[in-house]
Amino acid sequence: MKLVVVSAAGLVALLIGMDQVSHAEESQFRDEVAPILQQRCLSCHNDVDHKGDFSLESATVAFREGYIEPGKADSSHLIELMTPVDGKAQMPKNADPLSVAEIAIVRKWIDDGAKWPENFTLTETAVADLNWWSLKPLHRPPLPASWSSRTRSTNGGRPDDSSRQPLRLRTPIDAFILEKLSDKSLTSTSAADRLTLIRRLHFDLIGLPPTPETIDAFLRDDDPQAYERLVDRLLDSNGYGERWARHWLDVVHYADTHGYDKDKLRPNAWPYRDYVIRSLIEDKPYERFVREQIAGDALWPNTEDGITATGFIAAGPWDFIGHAEVPESKIDGKVARNLDRDDIVTSTMNTFCSVTVQCARCHNHKFDPITQEHYYSLQSVFAALDRADQKYDADPHTAYRRTELAERNTELLREKAAIDAEINKRAGSQLAPIDSKLAELQKQKEAAKGARPEFGYHSQISPRQDVEKWVQIDLGEPTVIDSILYVGCHDTFNDIGHGFGFPPRYRIEASDDESFQTDAVVLADHSQADVPNPGTNPQTVKAPGGLKARYVRMTATKLAHRRNDYIFALAEFSILTPDGQNAASDKPVSSPDSIEAPVRWQRKNLVDGYYFGVTASPDIQTQIARLTDERQAVLKHALSDDLKAKMADNETELKATTQAIKSLPAQSMVYSGMVHHGTGNFVGTGASGGIPRTIHILHRGNVQQPRQRVGPGAIPIIASVDWKFQLPESHSESDRRVALANWIVARDNPLTWRSIVNRVWQYHFGRGLVDSPNDFGRMGKLPSHPELLDWLAVEFRDGGQSLKKLHRLIVTSSVYRQSSAHDERNSQTDSENVYLWRMNRRRLTAEEIRDAVLSVSGKMDRTMYGPGFQLFVLEHPQHSPHYEYHKHDPDDPTTHRRSIYRFIARSQPDPFMTTLDCADSSQSVPRRDETVTALQALSLLNNKFMLRMAEHFTERLQNETDDKLNQVERACRLITGRQPTTEQLATLVAYADEFGAPNLCRLLFNLNEFVFVD
Amino acid sequence: MNRRHFLNQLGSGFGSLALAGVLLDDGLLAASVSPGVGSAVKVLHHPAKAKRVVQLFMGGAASHLDLFDYKPALEKYHGEKSDFGEHVEAFQNGLGPWMKSPFRFRPYGECGKYLSEAVEPLGDVVDEMAFVHNMVGRTGVHSQATYLQATGFDTPGFPGMGSWISYALGNMNENLPTFIVLPDRRGFASNGPKNWGAAFLPTHHQGTIIRPGTENPIDDLIARAKYVSAESDSRTLQLLTKLNREHQESRPGDSRLEARIRSYELAAKMQLSAPEALDLSQEPQHIHRMYGLSHGLNEFSKEINPVEEADYFGRKCLVARRLLERGVRFVQIWSGNDNGFPRRNWDSHEDIQRDHGPLALGMSQGAAALIKDLKQRGMLEDTIVLWTTEFGRMPSTQGSKGRDHNPYVFTNWLCGGGIKGGISYGPSDEWGYKPLDRDNPTQVYDIHATILHQLGIDHRRLTVRNNGIDRRLTDVHGHVIDELLA
Repeated sequence: MKLVVVSAAGLVALLIGMDQVSHAEESQFRDEVAPILQQRCLSCHNDVDHKGDFSLESATVAFREGYIEPGKADSSHLIELMTPVDGKAQMPKNADPLSVAEIAIVRKWIDDGAKWPENFTLTETAVADLNWWSLKPLHRPPLPASWSSRTRSTNGGRPDDSSRQPLRLRTPIDAFILEKLSDKSLTSTSAADRLTLIRRLHFDLIGLPPTPETIDAFLRDDDPQAYERLVDRLLDSNGYGERWARHWLDVVHYADTHGYDKDKLRPNAWPYRDYVIRSLIEDKPYERFVREQIAGDALWPNTEDGITATGFIAAGPWDFIGHAEVPESKIDGKVARNLDRDDIVTSTMNTFCSVTVQCARCHNHKFDPITQEHYYSLQSVFAALDRADQKYDADPHTAYRRTELAERNTELLREKAAIDAEINKRAGSQLAPIDSKLAELQKQKEAAKGARPEFGYHSQISPRQDVEKWVQIDLGEPTVIDSILYVGCHDTFNDIGHGFGFPPRYRIEASDDESFQTDAVVLADHSQADVPNPGTNPQTVKAPGGLKARYVRMTATKLAHRRNDYIFALAEFSILTPDGQNAASDKPVSSPDSIEAPVRWQRKNLVDGYYFGVTASPDIQTQIARLTDERQAVLKHALSDDLKAKMADNETELKATTQAIKSLPAQSMVYSGMVHHGTGNFVGTGASGGIPRTIHILHRGNVQQPRQRVGPGAIPIIASVDWKFQLPESHSESDRRVALANWIVARDNPLTWRSIVNRVWQYHFGRGLVDSPNDFGRMGKLPSHPELLDWLAVEFRDGGQSLKKLHRLIVTSSVYRQSSAHDERNSQTDSENVYLWRMNRRRLTAEEIRDAVLSVSGKMDRTMYGPGFQLFVLEHPQHSPHYEYHKHDPDDPTTHRRSIYRFIARSQPDPFMTTLDCADSSQSVPRRDETVTALQALSLLNNKFMLRMAEHFTERLQNETDDKLNQVERACRLITGRQPTTEQLATLVAYADEFGAPNLCRLLFNLNEFVFVD
Repeated sequence: MNRRHFLNQLGSGFGSLALAGVLLDDGLLAASVSPGVGSAVKVLHHPAKAKRVVQLFMGGAASHLDLFDYKPALEKYHGEKSDFGEHVEAFQNGLGPWMKSPFRFRPYGECGKYLSEAVEPLGDVVDEMAFVHNMVGRTGVHSQATYLQATGFDTPGFPGMGSWISYALGNMNENLPTFIVLPDRRGFASNGPKNWGAAFLPTHHQGTIIRPGTENPIDDLIARAKYVSAESDSRTLQLLTKLNREHQESRPGDSRLEARIRSYELAAKMQLSAPEALDLSQEPQHIHRMYGLSHGLNEFSKEINPVEEADYFGRKCLVARRLLERGVRFVQIWSGNDNGFPRRNWDSHEDIQRDHGPLALGMSQGAAALIKDLKQRGMLEDTIVLWTTEFGRMPSTQGSKGRDHNPYVFTNWLCGGGIKGGISYGPSDEWGYKPLDRDNPTQVYDIHATILHQLGIDHRRLTVRNNGIDRRLTDVHGHVIDELLA
């Protein structure tokens, strides 16, 4: 203890402070003083930050500097620091001063002797209180009394047309809504007419306008269940999956590029998008949908959905440079990976549970019961993962077969290892030289196969040509040299071509002196005149007979021209001994400089046996055959018949399984969260067996200040379940994700079920029952209809978890079928329509506008699934892709598919779609903005897509009818669904006569009636 | 409908609906006490010193050591083994010998500030400028660093500074966007348009891209179709308004329908005012010369060169001045494209002289012209110019002539808008490796807080709730740097 520096008063304080603290004094400190110090001082004055060399974490350190003089508040430096003068106090720094009452509490405590209960340490404040609506257990609330006393209507499901009728109770939803309406003295609005309803349903459920024919059929349909049948038809259509997948992809911030710097492409992201569409169409139970996205690869390993679903984990932005150019050992690499896991954790918990755990990255959550420990425990769940392309088999039979074969293969290899061990025991010493030679020959043979990326050696760049640069091989000992073979580079990367970097003048020498000062024998001298570039043709030089040397050097005396600078590059340098062996193979290479950029450029590529165009010489083949025979002979002699038979069987079967694996159909790929087996800086955890990275609590979120180590867990909101996952010591990384998935879909999880029904409600009505769909915490909004929310959540959870059933329940309610008409009296009480006294009118989303334009223009291609179409021309894809939207041809028919299949560039989004409030894939978008701006007007009037579609719309109309009046009428019906009035028709026809049909079509695309749904 | 009602409903000229603004006098006289149209801040937190901002952003990380932060020690110890006195992590391990700047430094102005010859034109206005030499970043990764300086956060998903200011203060001219971005014509810097995205603020607060000197400077401003003529356009608008009006009249009580009708009228106005604002032919010859636009060349050399750089950057500066004059609130000018090859950005890993030389001469000519021009028009007093970049560069070499990333210290400068001129605040250490006072560096939050302060905003009070957090431009940090204020 550093008591020497403690003032007398401080020492007394220590003595007094530690002992004899009465119960009252203890509670005074604990309940009144400590909270103030914790909230206002501790964030800087703790044992780690130790700002101003002062900490308040424990009594020992708090009293050490003598800032607190027990019994004497007036002379305590602490009080001086926190007391404001002219409204400004020295402490807390850069914050409002403590209140008068707070200072009084601290003063009184000091005056009373500054009693600090024994072993009491101040800790960062954490919220533990679960008394909050969204954290309360989910129970089915009783239905409103009006529901049981409702009278069965007799008008057979036709919309009520009598206005001012109280809402007809078609579903319990109506009863809940009606109850609130009458509480607030609001009245419901009459039902919308059938034309409004079909247009509303079409956009809401499938995101496309109804055709005039569909509308007519519905208007004529006198089946009392006509509306319900329409709902079913739409929910059963593929369009439903395509429309609602967009909502989900907004929340999980899906895109087809990484974002950040470069914004590189993710060519295999789309299988996840297709997974979402498919799952919605299949109406998968929600808990399955959740579990697949977090741990499908572990729970359903041989299924397409099980793998592609984990695209969820990788859906968000990813810092390519922070991962691919910076290794995990560097601070910047750690930061990038911490932010990466933060994105995954945030996305998971916001999406499925509507809880903002990300607030606890740097400090405990200020409002919700989430500590840093909880937050980092969630990071620990994903700690083994990276984002990368994962292979999978779309066909489950193939997947199963592949697994089976792989398992058998592993078994056979194990068997082979045992056999080899046995062989080694019996004939090891005889086999060793043969095997090493064989391995070398095999390597040479391998090296001869096709173009590989190991280009060779590349010197640093020189501004001048007359600088000498050399490479040198150390053979380890003086070796007899027969000849030298050296080859120029072939750089496929930039298509630089043959002989890249080959010097026009050079010499080759051998010596036993490493520095070539003495005894250098010149083997080749081309230093006096330029030689033509040999391309990649191997060059050979014969050594004088009997030459023996340890070092061989090639010196470029005149460097090769690059652009406006100079280099020396070489693919291969072989030193052949009289028996034809390459003595340089894998020997050390030195040079004054080098651009070490593996795998393409590095010194050791010079002696790797590979160069462009190398082929295995017949000699190698013969040698291999000879050695193989030799080996067989040894084995025959040394091994028992039994072992030989075993070996033969093993070999045959291994060959067969390997062949069988090879002949399986090619695998697909999805960009997903996975254990990554990488190279270079981006290695992932694959090489170390997929063991999760160790996760520590990071003080202030700083990777350089790791504190306590944490294991996998969630947050403490389910009373019956420990938030720490109880997993066996030997658990695998995916066990953690399975545990989290199970935690999320636990029946007792109070958030999950409320979260999803609220999202669905919001997409139908434009506003959630909770108006902060990603945040059900204390900073979020309160539910407008808590009972209805809980009723829906329980109904959904216990009723098969069918989203389609939930949609049906909602859209068949009378609340949903209301008109969107304004009512002045209701509006005065509830101008934002929180209580749903009418339906909300809404503007179409960017995708709906684009799809509707394509649809009415007759250009829509309804092909489903597959890689996204691109509304840009891609330039410079190798380095930093440029997404040139202005160069795209709007007539390209491959881009006339539904907008859900659009390739989404994250950092460089489509300006047209962005102007129309398309989701920003850099962040979770739980609800679209709905702005009305002059730029939108300009886009819809002048964007080349709109202009061209107006012409296609014209062609469609002209193909359908020759009569101009009919054309205009038809155009109006396609755009608005309704018949134009006589006057409107006359005006539009006159306008079309004067300015042409394309102008008419352009005008119609800009109507309010087109872009709004009542 | 009267003008007041119209403006209130439309919010900003770019059509914010929900944000009813405080109506200003036509002459915008009240700007020091009340914000613009469609502002989220209804009454300024304190009287403003400035009402406009120009941000000059150097993509790729411009070297403080070769432009503004003179280090005699590097000249003295040039070529000697560098020793930082501690373990250093450099992005590409560029920890070669100490390297002096390839450019000569000499004092300028009454303040005698040493500047490099590469930014010589700024010598004329150095007495207006306040340098901050102890800026520190968080990482040496381009993307995160660019986000940090542009949005105050090192991850995607946050609004750019211009978006915040547009949101807070609204619009001063309904016929032009509030926040305009002039990107490098050769490509976007790291993160592209996400640096000026609106994120969780309403979409219309995003930066609007203008590409001066190109065929189509603003997307979709005019219709490029044979069947559209000026006459058809005006008749289309007329009839559209009539039909939309009928639709709206049968649906009372929905202000969006009215706003949408108005948005088409505003669009038409913008079609007239935007080309006028971009028409540099209205500028006299001496102004062209001042901004480096009188070179008389129709095409430039393939190699990077100062004349071309001055043309690109100067053109944007001149356009910026015209936009500011017409009431645009925030202009962001970028120098430097993605960090690719051949280098047309400040990421000089290979050769400081080759890239920084022409880029800096071009930049400084445009920036100096802008400052002089604003001053001679009396606009400098309420316009803040901020020069910033991603991070600095190391005092040691990478290769033989380049410098690696240095997130540990770099330079910003500000001028105008009530910023004290001719001062250098917060020195870096003798090598320009870290701040001299390592415990008290300046961070982007402080710069942002100071700029907001000059605009009449307390940075702690400008908040928007998003996913459970009351978000600020300055996160939970930042304090106003009083020393920079005049």
